[in-house]
Amino acid sequence: MGMKRMLLWGCALMCTVLGMGTAWAAEPIRIGLMAPVTGAWASEGEEMRNIVNLLAEELNAQGGLLGRKIEVVLEDDGGDPRTASLAAQRLATQGIVAVVGTYGSSVTEASQSIYDEASILQIATGSTSIRLSEKNLKYFFRTCPRDDDQGRVAAQTIQKMGFKKVAILHDNTSYAKGLADESQALLKKSGIKVVFFDALTPGERDFTAILTKMKSADPEVIFFTGYYPELGLILRQKKEINWTIPVVGGDATNNPDLVKIAGKDAAEGYYFVSPPIPKDLPYEKTRAFLKNYGDKYNGAVPGSIWAVLAGDAFLSITDAIKATESTDVNKMAQYLHKSEHKTSGLTGEIGFNAKGDRVGDVYRVYRVDAAGAFILQEQ
Amino acid sequence: MEEFFQQLTNGLAVGGIYALIALGYTMVYGVLKLINFAHGDLFALGAYLGLTLLTSLGLNSRVGPLAGLALLVVFVTGLVALAGALLERAAYRPLRQSPRLSAVVSALGASIFIQNTIMLIYGSKIHVYPKGILPAVAVNIFGLQVPLVRILVFVVSLLLMAALFAFIQKTRLGTAIRAVAIDQDAARLMGINVDQVIMIVFLIGPGLGGVAGLLVGLYYGQVNFTMGWIYGLKAFTAAILGGIGNIPGAMLGGLILGVIEALGAAYVSVAWKDAIAFLVLIVILIARPKGLLGERVADKI
Repeated sequence: MGMKRMLLWGCALMCTVLGMGTAWAAEPIRIGLMAPVTGAWASEGEEMRNIVNLLAEELNAQGGLLGRKIEVVLEDDGGDPRTASLAAQRLATQGIVAVVGTYGSSVTEASQSIYDEASILQIATGSTSIRLSEKNLKYFFRTCPRDDDQGRVAAQTIQKMGFKKVAILHDNTSYAKGLADESQALLKKSGIKVVFFDALTPGERDFTAILTKMKSADPEVIFFTGYYPELGLILRQKKEINWTIPVVGGDATNNPDLVKIAGKDAAEGYYFVSPPIPKDLPYEKTRAFLKNYGDKYNGAVPGSIWAVLAGDAFLSITDAIKATESTDVNKMAQYLHKSEHKTSGLTGEIGFNAKGDRVGDVYRVYRVDAAGAFILQEQ
Repeated sequence: MEEFFQQLTNGLAVGGIYALIALGYTMVYGVLKLINFAHGDLFALGAYLGLTLLTSLGLNSRVGPLAGLALLVVFVTGLVALAGALLERAAYRPLRQSPRLSAVVSALGASIFIQNTIMLIYGSKIHVYPKGILPAVAVNIFGLQVPLVRILVFVVSLLLMAALFAFIQKTRLGTAIRAVAIDQDAARLMGINVDQVIMIVFLIGPGLGGVAGLLVGLYYGQVNFTMGWIYGLKAFTAAILGGIGNIPGAMLGGLILGVIEALGAAYVSVAWKDAIAFLVLIVILIARPKGLLGERVADKI
């Protein structure tokens, strides 16, 4: 009796082990997603999650990768560096092969070394700060452009428009000041005079003193590198003193609230450089995806390009797994770093340089029309 | 030279708003020796209440634009004054006999409370006043382009300050306020209801702050829940500059601060204008530690 029982237990044990073995083979490939689904950037995080989940679903419907399903493991970074480092530590223990994320530069920065030490491939989506990719991290990539790219495109735009004297205004945040410095250097190099270079205080309401001073410097165009709340007031107050100078701005002014603050009449004719708004992406594949997105999420359309870039991060990872037929982080990183590799993404072809920065032009020029809509300009 | 005068008008318009808010700080300090840190948030509350009343009541379409605006000012003043009185009752009166530090901590707490209440009710996004309430035209004064609304804002703040000054100097209640400011115990012995006087101060100060919030909303068109902080800081500086506790001092301090900022931005650097304003404050306080008009202790309120 005792013998029989032992045999029975032994059988059961064997079955379990064998069962586990087969389950191991079909174990899904886990890809992390670190996104701000709560906090001030919650709307960004939500769209990131929706887009990545939908892409994973579509891929699984086609049979997954290497005969295995894809599983997305979400951790919330709250848009906060401290929360992000905890989220990164949690993700690092969950057997993920790569991670998508995240949005804010400082938030990404807090997680970088954690993923690097755990040998996890990281592709950031909205973190444009230059220094993130200057640290020689082997496994760090990003699908968004860098701030110096934006300066280049802005300077080119101003040059193409034929202006000779520029007033540059920033707001002393590291992003805005960096962009202002970058473009100032480029403009000067191409022979355009910078007749005014100064900063306003974010959160203030009255910029008439600045406008009056700027006017006396007699520029032909104003280049503003700060955020939309201040720009809205500037456009409004500029109109009030009957000053009709054109204004060009950076991607931090790409927000529909800009028109609300400035008013349609004051916002009309304002130019800004920014990655394209999702609805303006010209690719067939992207249109089809956005349609599926609408079908799945009650007709919603992603409003943020940064969330779409999270989709591109996911596509780059899955492309690397497919091409290298492995989930080995070194092989994947090597593949992505190669200049000839190109992944077909939602925002066009995605390739990375040796630093892990995205190559190619992402920035476009937009103009606000009389109805307050952002219209993509021909290049 | 033209630029100088243009900057002067820019500074005076901003200074008028600072002065209006500074009055609330200075009045409360006069009677209670308390810096009411929640004052900036009452100002923000005024801006938000103005927005709500403007969009929900539709006063303009019912009684015409001018009467509608006047009614709006009355409503906002009344509501924010009420909020101020409530604040005094809840946060300051229970601490009347405690050390002054407790009241200051209570004021900081009240500031955080009001700011977050506004955020929870209205959300953290920027809100925008409807356009076209006030005409957006510029008037040509001696060759200077001055927006009409700026003149209006400046005149309204001057009128309110003048009315307040007359009230404090000429009426019985004003005399009682001055008496409480000088010596609470003596005032009580003279038959003045000190608690009532303090309550009245907490109606007037926040009421004026509320109007300032409404003016900022109407003119700049954009309100957010943290706006009380930066305006509160500037107005507090203005009150100190003029001599805290002194009503004409707050008016003067506000106007001077606005002008210094504008001229500092014009002739030194825009990015450094706050630093310049605070530098001037330090210099003035070294020369006159009680502020510009702060020495006439007998008149202090």
